[in-house]
Amino acid sequence: MSVRIRIDPILCRGHAICALFFSDGVDLDQWGFGRVAVVDVDSPRDIRRARRAAAACPNGAFVVTERVAAPTAPSGRS
Amino acid sequence: MTTPSGLAVTVDRRAAPGGPAHAAFATPGPAGPAVTGIGDPGSLLFAGPPAGAGGGGLDGHLGRWGALPGVDGAGVRALLRASALDGRGGGGFPLARKVETARLAAGRPVVIVNASESEPASRKDRSLCAERPHLVLDGAALVALAIGVDEVVVHLHRSPGSAAPALEAAIVERRRRGLPDPRWRLSAGPDRYVSGESSAVASFVDGGDARPRFTTQPLAVRGPSGGPTVVSNAETVAHLAVLTRIGPDAWGAHGVPSSPGTRLVTVTGAVPHPGRVLELTGPSTIGDALVADGLVAPPAAVLVGGFAGAWVLGDEAWQTPFSRDALRCVGAEPGCGLLGVLPHGACPLVETARIVRYLAGESAGQCGTCVAGLPRLAGACETLASGTLRRRGVRRMSTLGDTVLGSGACGHPDAVVRLVRSMLSVFDDDVARHLAGRPCRGADHPPVFAVPHADLAVGRDDAREWV
Repeated sequence: MSVRIRIDPILCRGHAICALFFSDGVDLDQWGFGRVAVVDVDSPRDIRRARRAAAACPNGAFVVTERVAAPTAPSGRS
Repeated sequence: MTTPSGLAVTVDRRAAPGGPAHAAFATPGPAGPAVTGIGDPGSLLFAGPPAGAGGGGLDGHLGRWGALPGVDGAGVRALLRASALDGRGGGGFPLARKVETARLAAGRPVVIVNASESEPASRKDRSLCAERPHLVLDGAALVALAIGVDEVVVHLHRSPGSAAPALEAAIVERRRRGLPDPRWRLSAGPDRYVSGESSAVASFVDGGDARPRFTTQPLAVRGPSGGPTVVSNAETVAHLAVLTRIGPDAWGAHGVPSSPGTRLVTVTGAVPHPGRVLELTGPSTIGDALVADGLVAPPAAVLVGGFAGAWVLGDEAWQTPFSRDALRCVGAEPGCGLLGVLPHGACPLVETARIVRYLAGESAGQCGTCVAGLPRLAGACETLASGTLRRRGVRRMSTLGDTVLGSGACGHPDAVVRLVRSMLSVFDDDVARHLAGRPCRGADHPPVFAVPHADLAVGRDDAREWV
């Protein structure tokens, strides 16, 4: 079992609460906006922390998804 | 006139003048360098009459190319795979992979041809849609066939001089003639820099605002509608219309192995005809393109790939073929095909600062680090250009770049950081002079690049501009 964590940069308002719950999984920039430091989380303890961080984010920006093998495909401009 | 690669401009020795339809293009073997304008002999996408001479009519189009050969969806997909056609909107992603991904995904697929061309100085997509609309529509119909949908959206920006009238007229002509087309839907969105990014286009076409979206899955897997969404650039699909007729091998031979087919570029800045669109064949260099527009010697530098592109010194750019691999060697990418010429005597730091300020104002205002970081980066570039930044400031600039890189939902902030980094590394002499407070050689030079809203001190942030 492993989960993938992401922070939606559009929803993130820099409350930095995720970093309280999952400090080694999140990097904060100088304005407090978060960026995930690890994308895929394997250990049960870290999965628990990631889920707490997701639940605590007031904007729903911290997203935890069950890991699926996604095909690599385009992003950005076509 | 001879070019940096020693060959005559606008001469394609394989093209038989006045030859029938596309037979002249069927000669195998790699092409030599050639640079052609709209309607010049030897051009491929731009074969036909010169600009403004009615090259957009259906009769002329069918006379040049004939009807599309009878091909089914699997046939188009095979052609896409065989051709390795890469996206021409900036990302360079192979269209075959977008199409295959969308075929495997669940939900009703959406096909969008992106002719929005958000780069303020780029003209290639609107020239193509205005002068050869039927190539774009043929290609769009082929993508629809490959994916199995019966509707295609052609998306443009609402801007003065848009190609919408030409496309509308072409669609009417095709309907009258009863061509086996999908349903066409023209979409006109806001004229903002990031509104041409594929997730922004997909969002707008789906009824949302024309701003990039945060996606956890590629658009070709799941777009805003819930179904897979294929967004492909107008030039890309026009190439598909050509290669379906002449075959992927003959089409590919018009380019080089790493960059098959011809490539459209727009020249801007200190050139005789800013905004002129040229078609590059074979291993044509950036110098070949600039010579074709009337330059006789390498300029100081060339901004390659777009406003958010990379700087290449003039001497180096002059001899660099405009292909993905060759450009990578000099730290650049084809991007949208923009070649911005910086003349001797202008200050690259001043020009970059103006562009960075414009790009900072073109943030969609969604992601915090972009909103907070880009104006600071622009400020640092302006301080550097004015000669009041010190060595410590450059280090702060570099840290700021690291912070901003990869922070956004779209690639906009990353592109700005790469432009600034390219300026700092390519123009290290100018940077050193400015840091030492010595006078700038370009202080009195008029602005080189036409940057929109250069008079605005702050970015536009009216929410109504995004719908």
